[in-house]
Amino acid sequence: MLTIDSLSKSFDKGKNYAIEDVTFNLMAGHVCAIVGESGSGKTTLVRLIAGLERPDHGSIAMDGKVIASLNKFVQPEKRKIGLVFQEYALFPHLTILDNILYGISKVKHKKQRAQDMLDLVGLDDMGSRYPHQLSGGQQQRVALARALAPEPSLLILDEPFSNLDTMLRTQLRNEVFDIIKKTEVTVLFVTHDTQDALSVADEILILQNGKVIQKDVASNLYVKPSTLYVASLFGSTVHINKNLQNAFRCPLKETCCHAIRNEKIKVNPSPDDFDCEYLTTAQVIKKIELGDSIQLLLKLESGEQLTVMTQDKNIADTINIGFNSKDILEFDQEQES
Amino acid sequence: MRQGGNKNKAFSLKTRLKRLKRDSNRWSVFTLAIVLFLALPIVFIGVELFSGPGETWGHIVEYLLPDYIWNSLYLVFFCSILVLVLGVSSAWFVSRFDFLFRKQMEWLLILPLAIPSYIVGYAYAGIFDYGGSMDLIFRQLNLDFVRIDIMNRAGLAFVLSISLFPYVYVSARAFFLNQANNLLEASKMLGVGEAKTFFKLMLPLARPAIVAGLVLVLMEVLNDYGAAKYYGVNTFTTGIFRSWFSLEEPQTAVYLSALLILIIFALILFEKWQVRKVKFTSAKSNSTQIQRKEPKGAIKWGIFSVVLLPILLGFILPVAQLIYWAILTASTVFDFRFIVLSLQSFGIAITSAIITVFFALLLIYFSKWSALRFIKNVARVGVLGYAIPGAVIAIGIMIPTLALDKWLIKMLGNFGIDSGLIINGTLIALFYAYAVRFLAVAYNPIDSTALKVDNSIPDSSKVLGVGNLKTFFKIEFPLIKTGVFSAVILVFIDVMKELPLTLILKPYHVDTLAVKAFEYASDEMVMEASIPSLFIIFTAMIPVIFLNKLLIKK
Repeated sequence: MLTIDSLSKSFDKGKNYAIEDVTFNLMAGHVCAIVGESGSGKTTLVRLIAGLERPDHGSIAMDGKVIASLNKFVQPEKRKIGLVFQEYALFPHLTILDNILYGISKVKHKKQRAQDMLDLVGLDDMGSRYPHQLSGGQQQRVALARALAPEPSLLILDEPFSNLDTMLRTQLRNEVFDIIKKTEVTVLFVTHDTQDALSVADEILILQNGKVIQKDVASNLYVKPSTLYVASLFGSTVHINKNLQNAFRCPLKETCCHAIRNEKIKVNPSPDDFDCEYLTTAQVIKKIELGDSIQLLLKLESGEQLTVMTQDKNIADTINIGFNSKDILEFDQEQES
Repeated sequence: MRQGGNKNKAFSLKTRLKRLKRDSNRWSVFTLAIVLFLALPIVFIGVELFSGPGETWGHIVEYLLPDYIWNSLYLVFFCSILVLVLGVSSAWFVSRFDFLFRKQMEWLLILPLAIPSYIVGYAYAGIFDYGGSMDLIFRQLNLDFVRIDIMNRAGLAFVLSISLFPYVYVSARAFFLNQANNLLEASKMLGVGEAKTFFKLMLPLARPAIVAGLVLVLMEVLNDYGAAKYYGVNTFTTGIFRSWFSLEEPQTAVYLSALLILIIFALILFEKWQVRKVKFTSAKSNSTQIQRKEPKGAIKWGIFSVVLLPILLGFILPVAQLIYWAILTASTVFDFRFIVLSLQSFGIAITSAIITVFFALLLIYFSKWSALRFIKNVARVGVLGYAIPGAVIAIGIMIPTLALDKWLIKMLGNFGIDSGLIINGTLIALFYAYAVRFLAVAYNPIDSTALKVDNSIPDSSKVLGVGNLKTFFKIEFPLIKTGVFSAVILVFIDVMKELPLTLILKPYHVDTLAVKAFEYASDEMVMEASIPSLFIIFTAMIPVIFLNKLLIKK
């Protein structure tokens, strides 16, 4: 339903690109998460889609109709896209009900629709209040109700949970997506948190420096990350460089780049553990107790340092570590450069 | 690697032109039209330069121009020194120390802004006149032989400085209050003394803020006509008036105006250079305020007097003199005609304030709705009128409107209509001139309130299917109301105080309080000028206090 083709946007006349040559499709009814660090261009991308920025190159089409290109620009108010801003952007001088009514002034039975939306987000008795009288989580839900009220064909959530603390965040995330599932709307969900993305998205798009690095279903991103960067987004990862290859005596293809997840490195594997093909000894430099597990900072003979996790409380000064070849992640050398 | 293809394509001339076509909308065109409309007076001065100088130009260059330049430089130099000393010292003392009446003095220091310079000039002329207040005091002290003559260049520099120093005070204080605290604490922790901290740390850091205030002062110094005229000092503005009214040589006025514009642009460039050179001040204001010290003994009284002095000289003394005169002349000046005059003056000020604010709103929002990024910078050009002296704007409007009126009379004459002057010498020209001159006064408070409204608010309105105009009336205007209101008030005060522009452009039968005060003073009836002057001061005072409240909140 959403087709984006070689989209580019620069805010300094082409010196730097906020979004560079981005191409992807979004299927109707899917929830797609856009993941990237701050400054990776996530927000610019959704603002381009919503019509709040104009592309420098490329095109955006919805349901087969071009809404932005070099020759055409459909105003945001004509796009039928719902957008929930990071800072909610509720109109401070209007009541909650008026906020929701704002976008459906031409709809029949608008009062009923607005009330239905309030019911949907569980704030049915709050209609006459003003935004500042609500908690952050409640404001968030009003913003969602307001965006959903005009029945948009695409709903964009821009970092909707980043202003909330961790406890509230998980709870609200589940609530929000339960509500969204009921409406069957197509969703673009921007976040810098991979946990958020993994828990709700059908597919995930990784942005780095304004470019799409990978777009795939969630499970694939963990197992088959396309770059070391993507791999490290979904859990801490060690790059297996030449020194490590020598230490573990595991010769790997020179044309590729390899990595292993820290959690896949086994500490003191039993001698009959045939899974552990590559082994080496390491000196423990530091132990950090993290509740039920222990983080170890290790130093190999070659001088390389590594961190690993273990449940084992009895750790000697020198230990064995190892990993299995099937856990090695392999990337194209070129993409890393 | 991949940078080749689309990157180059996205900023090739062809795609740029395509985007220009795509992004040009009616708002871009409207913004350009408004800016052009507001810039017309200056454009006309430039165009008129090509018609060559007037007959007396040679005479002026030979005998008067050196005087104009020398006097203007003299005023710029000595006013700079005086306002810097007065403005920065008082700002530092009220932000760094706590002493008797400190809170009251903080806003009293702004009040001199409520008195137009020429009125301060009249008051001091009276104070130091033969038989004036000073004379009486000296006689009491048997110091008959002491006579201070201030009706000269030095006196003018004093009068202008004492009435304009609050510009420096306000911007320096804002810096000291909002930005200085953690640096001050760091300096204290390093064991550096009070004086060294001020001269080595605070003063260099505050320089951009101080220079910004100073440039405003100097623009006003160059804009002044009333005080210079009364003190008999030949400046560019008095020269423009003389060539326009006495010599009846518009071309000479145009040439003098052009020279004055050059001086002003040199000032603006100086400011830009100063601010660019010192970019280390952060735009973010500090959340913690300066902890004020409480000095003891002699130091306490020393600071108290240093802060009191500018208030005394800039506000209390002149106002006292004016009140004294007002009591003496109330019976002759204050009559029905005077009430009509005051109402007329208020009416003109409020109408032009609303017109000016309307233009400011159009510029701010049209340029925002324009999808072309450079339009926002173009809009700022429309604001430059504030730098141009009123007399220059008046000349720039007078010349084209006279020509336009002549043409209109001729055209309408063809249809047998005897129209008379339609624009020139009517309120239309006056309102237009005020809008050009005071647009910045309206633009800045509205723009800064508008900036406080997060972009996501109007953006979310648009995403919800509501267009620009409706978004403005339903969402943005309710949120920037206070900014718009203070803009109306600020322009209102400035129009009330305005003299040179009004003198040139006002319709024959229309007077303002400022013009009335000037006329009394010019007719050797300076005592009678006190009542219209006090009216101006009191109308300006209430909003100045109100404005200060806003500043403190910031």
